Amino acid sequence: MADIGFRSFLDDLDKAGELKRITKPVDCRQLSALGEQADQATIFENIEGYPGWKVATALVSTRKRLGIAMGCTESRIAFEFEEKSSKPIDPVIVNNAPCQEVVMEGDDVDLTSIPLPLMHLYDGGPYISGTFAVSQDPDHGSNVGCYRLMYRTPNETGIDLVSPSDMRFYYQRALDKGEPLPIAIAVGVHPLDMLAASYKAPIDTNELALAGGLRGEALEMVKCKTLDLEVPADAEIVLEGELLPIGWTADEGPFGEFSQISGDVKWNPIFRIKCITHRKNPIFYMLQMPWENDWLSAPVTEAAGLQALRVASVQPVDIRAPVGSCGYWALIASIKKRPGEGKNAVTALLSVAEVKYVVVTDDDINIHDPDELDWAIAFRVQADEDAIILKGARAKHIDPSVKSWELGKGGLPTTAKIGIDATIPEGVPPILYRRIKNYGRDRIKLEDFE
Amino acid sequence: MSPLATKIKTSLESEAQQFHDVVDEHMDVPWQEFLRAWGELRAIDILQRDDEGAYFIEVS
Repeated sequence: MADIGFRSFLDDLDKAGELKRITKPVDCRQLSALGEQADQATIFENIEGYPGWKVATALVSTRKRLGIAMGCTESRIAFEFEEKSSKPIDPVIVNNAPCQEVVMEGDDVDLTSIPLPLMHLYDGGPYISGTFAVSQDPDHGSNVGCYRLMYRTPNETGIDLVSPSDMRFYYQRALDKGEPLPIAIAVGVHPLDMLAASYKAPIDTNELALAGGLRGEALEMVKCKTLDLEVPADAEIVLEGELLPIGWTADEGPFGEFSQISGDVKWNPIFRIKCITHRKNPIFYMLQMPWENDWLSAPVTEAAGLQALRVASVQPVDIRAPVGSCGYWALIASIKKRPGEGKNAVTALLSVAEVKYVVVTDDDINIHDPDELDWAIAFRVQADEDAIILKGARAKHIDPSVKSWELGKGGLPTTAKIGIDATIPEGVPPILYRRIKNYGRDRIKLEDFE
Repeated sequence: MSPLATKIKTSLESEAQQFHDVVDEHMDVPWQEFLRAWGELRAIDILQRDDEGAYFIEVS
């Protein structure tokens, strides 16, 4: 088996002192509240009513833990992601897989046999929040993404497919022919695989090869029991089934969104499950919202920003997708600027996914210090010259300001975006930004006079 | 329909409730049993949602 997997990551967290083990009995209705309070990743080893099962949560709900997953320091995550994703490694197919040690098919399929948690106060039901969803299109090949599932019946879930995505596109193509879309959902994979799955890659990009690049070794896949799809062999649980050709007609949600908002009821397709496979003594992965999602989003957004800057021939020095933007809606970058490149950089970053707020600074600004950022905006920006506003760009439903309730079922919202060029304006001598410094500060020490 | 599903149905016919309200009323029921009963109501497609996401069942 591969060296890198969900369980090896739990071991890595344990060795780093980042994993708490709860051995007292815990009810599924208590899991989320307990996991949210822990300052470490948590594994619940005694789930009431579910002998043999464990539940793991908050595995990457801090940037430090994501750094452990990436095998690098926190400040290097985006650059590491960018570098490794440029060296994809194709997946390999294996015949025997831990994820298929137990098989439930047909009438034996029973989602209630899995310890599904009730996560947030206003959720519309129990959720499977951390998924690695595989689908296939005859013309575009396989695709992987992350989609939440809301429990409906022992063999059905809702699935959030309102936002633009490759799987939504595949589903629409199947729906146009009146056909279901076969999909497989893996739960409990390494965070690197989740990062690859959440990457907004061009439609023909192989996310599985991207996962291999991030791992530095091929992702091992196994053929599903009932579908012509492959899933990560190392996964804890796999749900095999199809999206019914009913369009966006079934109620789904609310669910505690990664935007830190409770969300609202959405209209979505239904996922009907034909087969469940899992490991013996499986570990259910409860992705803790919002932080675990946000820290998985941030490096993907940051790497996409780096890529956009390089395509625009701008040299990035640092980049971050701020926590306040949930690692998704904003990008702050510093660049080594040549004339005009502040605007080029702003425009390039505004093109990234649903990023709607961008600030670009020179490389003398520490973009991780909000006070320095404010200083740059205060003294290097003229609003009528340095703010760029775009209208009618792609948006996500969960941003209340796009008023998605005004759309019909299945409708897609748009948004306006703002970018600020906080680099030193052309024609302003850099010496005017020379920082104040106390005379003798390098050699005169206060402790010598105390 | 199971007795538990019938009880939840009666409750949702009398007033709209958030999912967590329904859960709170049945904390003494094992989670798996609760989920199966909820699944029974879903399967016969009688659950409706109001503007705040609460569930209700229309009495015909």
